[in-house]
Amino acid sequence: MLTIGWLYPQLMNTYGDRGNIMILQRRCEWRGIGVEIKNLDLGFKIDDLRVCDLLFMGGAQDRQQKIVSEDLFKKADVLTRMIKDGTPGLYICGAYQFLGKYYKEANGTIIKGLGILDLYTENPGTNKPRLIGNVIIEIQDLRFKMYEEKNHKSSIVNRKSSALVGFENHGGRTYLGKGLKPLGKVLHGFGNNGKDKTEGVMYKNSFGTYLHGPILPKNPNFADLLIKCALEKKYKKSIELSLLDDSLEYRAHQAVLKKQNYHAWRF
Amino acid sequence: MMRFLLSLFLGKFIYILSNWFHLGTGSTWPGHVSLMINLSFIPFILSKNPNLSIIVIAGTNGKTTTAKLIQTLLEKGGKNVFRNKEGANLLNGIVSALLRYSTIQGRINYDYAILEVDENTLPLFVDEWKPNTLVLLNLFRDQLDRYGETDTIAQKWKSACGLLNPSSTIIANADDPQMAWVSDHSKAKKLFFGLSSFPKQVAHHAADSLYCPYCSSKLSFSSFSFSHLGKWHCRSCGKKRPEPTVSHSPIYPLEGAYNAYNTHAAILTSQSCGLLVDAKKALLLFHPAFGRQEVIVVKEKKVQLFLSKNPTSFNESLSTAMQAPLPTLCMVLNDQIPDGRDVSWIWDVDMESLDHARTIVISGNRAYDLALRLKYEITPKAFAQKVFVELDLSNALLKALSLLPDQETLFVLPTYSAMLEVRKIVTGRKIL
Repeated sequence: MLTIGWLYPQLMNTYGDRGNIMILQRRCEWRGIGVEIKNLDLGFKIDDLRVCDLLFMGGAQDRQQKIVSEDLFKKADVLTRMIKDGTPGLYICGAYQFLGKYYKEANGTIIKGLGILDLYTENPGTNKPRLIGNVIIEIQDLRFKMYEEKNHKSSIVNRKSSALVGFENHGGRTYLGKGLKPLGKVLHGFGNNGKDKTEGVMYKNSFGTYLHGPILPKNPNFADLLIKCALEKKYKKSIELSLLDDSLEYRAHQAVLKKQNYHAWRF
Repeated sequence: MMRFLLSLFLGKFIYILSNWFHLGTGSTWPGHVSLMINLSFIPFILSKNPNLSIIVIAGTNGKTTTAKLIQTLLEKGGKNVFRNKEGANLLNGIVSALLRYSTIQGRINYDYAILEVDENTLPLFVDEWKPNTLVLLNLFRDQLDRYGETDTIAQKWKSACGLLNPSSTIIANADDPQMAWVSDHSKAKKLFFGLSSFPKQVAHHAADSLYCPYCSSKLSFSSFSFSHLGKWHCRSCGKKRPEPTVSHSPIYPLEGAYNAYNTHAAILTSQSCGLLVDAKKALLLFHPAFGRQEVIVVKEKKVQLFLSKNPTSFNESLSTAMQAPLPTLCMVLNDQIPDGRDVSWIWDVDMESLDHARTIVISGNRAYDLALRLKYEITPKAFAQKVFVELDLSNALLKALSLLPDQETLFVLPTYSAMLEVRKIVTGRKIL
């Protein structure tokens, strides 16, 4: 049984973000794992956050982001403790920026972040282009590899891609502090800032990224990693998820790789 | 003056050339060249034609249909009217239309020009020329990769409305809170259209403007038509939906709540032009624009195209198609430039109803994304039995037609570039 907390579904839901929640929910259900989705909207009770085993938060327009930040600051202590404690979570785009120290708007205004992670984001101004397009990043973290061995024996699944694919659309450029690991290395697209080839951030079981699309449908191993982490943290033991037929998921994944002329990236 | 004449001659010349040789570029290329020579071509040619009234139509959904409805009403009222070609709604497309309908001396012998403009082009056009009538239909999230966020566009529209003179008229959608806000401080005369009855109590997932554009508080809706359109008011700042002048029509030539809005917008526009047209008579024989509920007969079977280019138009296409008891659908998702390269919007579409479809054939260059969307929506059993992925569009249409029972209609829901491809296949010889 997992409780998935969706932070601000009404406000932080711009690029089909709810697809990520649907993926987590269905992939649990198909395996007989009970799921409860908690919608943590503006003014939610702090206890509703505390009981969550897995967190998700999406991106939004600036106006919505400002409304959310006021509310989220009131709950920052609990969220910080959960993230530092290893509660798994996926934070997309605006939510990812929130985890950092600050966001500097195009007009120079500084919006304070939650300061949970040592990173910051700056928008270089409206005369600089937004970073938009398909993204492919290479993952080195072995946790994403969870199924590879089995796969060689299984004919139904093809989980050999070591890439994550998605679509990015952001004005802000994010820079990671020295101690922080990116989620992946940019093979195609811009990533955190279009310069240093890093994309996203990994901290314990929390992941920040600019990839939407949404990210989880076309990268089911990422969805499963989040589910596995959540179950293992909750039940304090190692957990093996049963295999699902992901052939369609990987066809969609491959279609993006092919579109950008990357073929069969493997571990 | 020389520059103007040169841009006019050359533009006109290129238009004639591309027409002669069927280059298919006549809707944008002449305007492109004229603008290259003379950046202020629009004010130049329009100031030479003071009797030509300009009606500009902006909005995420419904521009082409509304333009065609207005044209039908005005022509019934005895006026000479032209409009720009659909899709050619950037400045170069507008200039191409002006070139096409002008004489070689730059005279435009028409009463009205109906110009649909792209969301980002509206402010550019208003900078060049103040239209007599500006129709503001709606703003939904659409191609965020190309247009940016709806708030950014709304801000630009508000500035554009601020430039209008009292002699202009804004015809705005009362049920879209952002349209009221956008037109609020304009000196132009304001008229509103809306719906009189609302079917829904709950918002769609894709609803965008549920927060007050004036004060950012959560808006209250007593009812919705679709997306964020409805009877809205703000408990915090007291702003509320303006009272619409037109909220019903004696006739609705096209189905769906969104087309009711388009019809009301067109009727209000013709009224504000001072024309007393019998809408019922005028719209009785209305033919839909390309791909907008257009019916094409293929192999003695009915194929109906529902352009579905963003969450709102997809939702509305589905709710119309799913009125059939066990509909057969072909959904085509492309990610070409005119469609938007980002296909994540399909996750904002409400697809639960597709459990009740008979057959769903999926195609397009992002077919797998759309199939995946369905896999996570409908039951695994329904998915296995009803959903077919066929990357080749001709084969997809053949497959859907072969599974379509006689006497029933095949509902095709394509994105923009897919709609053009589908039309080419079903009207051409490729499939017959």
